[in-house]
Amino acid sequence: VTTPDEVTDQDRLAYARAAIEHAYDRGWTDGLPVVPVTRPMVEEFLAQTARSADEVIAAVPHLDRECTVEQAAVNAALAGCRPEYFPVVLAAWEALGRERAVLGGGWQSTSGPAPLIVVNGPIRHELNINSTGGVLGPGFRANATIARAIGLVVRNVFGIRPQELDQSTQGVPGRWLLCIGENEEESPWEPLATEVGLPAGTDAVSATLLRTCEFVDNRHTQRPDELLADFADSISRTGAAIVPFSSAGLVLGVEHAQLLAGHGFAKRDVQQWLYERCVRSHEDLDRVGKGLDGRTGPGIDGYGLRMLPSPEQLLIVVAGARNAAMSMVVRPFGFTGWSRTAVPVYRP
Amino acid sequence: LFSAMIDPTEGPGTRARPPVLAPRPPDLRGCRVGLLANVKRNAERYLDEVGALLRREHGAADLVRRTKRSITDPVPPDVLADLVATCDIVVVGVGDCGSCSASAIGDGLALEAAGVPAAVVCTDAFAVTADAMARLRGSPDYRYVRTPHPLAPLGPDEVRERALAALPEIVATLTSGRAVA
Repeated sequence: VTTPDEVTDQDRLAYARAAIEHAYDRGWTDGLPVVPVTRPMVEEFLAQTARSADEVIAAVPHLDRECTVEQAAVNAALAGCRPEYFPVVLAAWEALGRERAVLGGGWQSTSGPAPLIVVNGPIRHELNINSTGGVLGPGFRANATIARAIGLVVRNVFGIRPQELDQSTQGVPGRWLLCIGENEEESPWEPLATEVGLPAGTDAVSATLLRTCEFVDNRHTQRPDELLADFADSISRTGAAIVPFSSAGLVLGVEHAQLLAGHGFAKRDVQQWLYERCVRSHEDLDRVGKGLDGRTGPGIDGYGLRMLPSPEQLLIVVAGARNAAMSMVVRPFGFTGWSRTAVPVYRP
Repeated sequence: LFSAMIDPTEGPGTRARPPVLAPRPPDLRGCRVGLLANVKRNAERYLDEVGALLRREHGAADLVRRTKRSITDPVPPDVLADLVATCDIVVVGVGDCGSCSASAIGDGLALEAAGVPAAVVCTDAFAVTADAMARLRGSPDYRYVRTPHPLAPLGPDEVRERALAALPEIVATLTSGRAVA
């Protein structure tokens, strides 16, 4: 028997390691180590919200599974969140709950979609949520662990695990890692949360599910029409189209956003420009075996198929460093678009 | 050891649902057949072929075709009520994606709970998720019909062949004596 005096630092660290291994043995992790969670830790997280511990914040109706505030807190702690991140995690769940794909079977989809969580407002600075260089990760605790907290609930609370109820064929690089701040300080436009209706300066979270990100490197032009045409080419890629449905968004680098704004483009002008020009001909669709076979519907005309459901469905977020003219085309999952809403972050 | 570590899978838990399977008819003569299709490519065509075969070879009566617009959601309550009111048996399909295969099993169990025998068709690539769904819903041995994966890219003749090949299993699933609770 070892008395407390004789417990060395090495012993304590060995115990910590064994606790992490215990979590692996129980199947609680996403493959990376998790933080062992104790009752007092959970209480610290719960103290960050006015909501009741047993309130249900997310559900998968067809699996009869629900997640309470407390279960979300346990898994946020497990993910490595600090307690003060928890209100952002709760807002992210509320934002995801407005996504049609999440309410259905999105977490189980063969596309293995990744939640994209976008944070606006001063809380980005308070919690050190990265919105500039390396914004899509890794390297920043808040970004990495807030996104991971979502994934651990899907795994541990909903019981949706890969190769079981999660039927992801390949999955999406960055799944459970995509939480970004918008670079409001260097964006020429209103923040996303303001665009979709919240008062300026509100701490808020928007979210959707993504099927991938694809880079557009254009350090070549100073003309907005040429830059937009470069985006249009990626947006209109046939491989990303599940005809007749297709969607896209832009995580714009600062330089690209400033170039467009400098030529008088508001966000809605960018959306309209791309909506009008992102069209794929019937001939092109036939060539890749995705012909519409005479089907009619929204976005289909004699020439071809529009690759965006509507101008405003083109999500635009400005994020990253102002050090190179590159952006990401992102691919929202699902056939019905994203909710175009932002959820305020509530703190007691 | 580790007794103070909180289990992140613990919670209020799922509502317990006792597995209930509908009583089976001895054969399908005169049965009104519901065909609950999702919007996956070839699902309607496949179920139409199954329906035609059940009429021609097993004496089934009318066909009631219903389409579930969402591949992932449970069958809407009005569609479920309609099928229960107008059908003696229902064929559900085709589960050939991660979410729709689980959803199809859920729909089958919902029909069973409402007293209507169901045959759920999934492609064999999704057996694991279909089994996991059946387990999660309290019916680990729920019998469903597997057809080779994939179905979506097949032409009309190939779809007909798949329906023909699965027919004995569909009939066995829907008739008495072989349903497993």
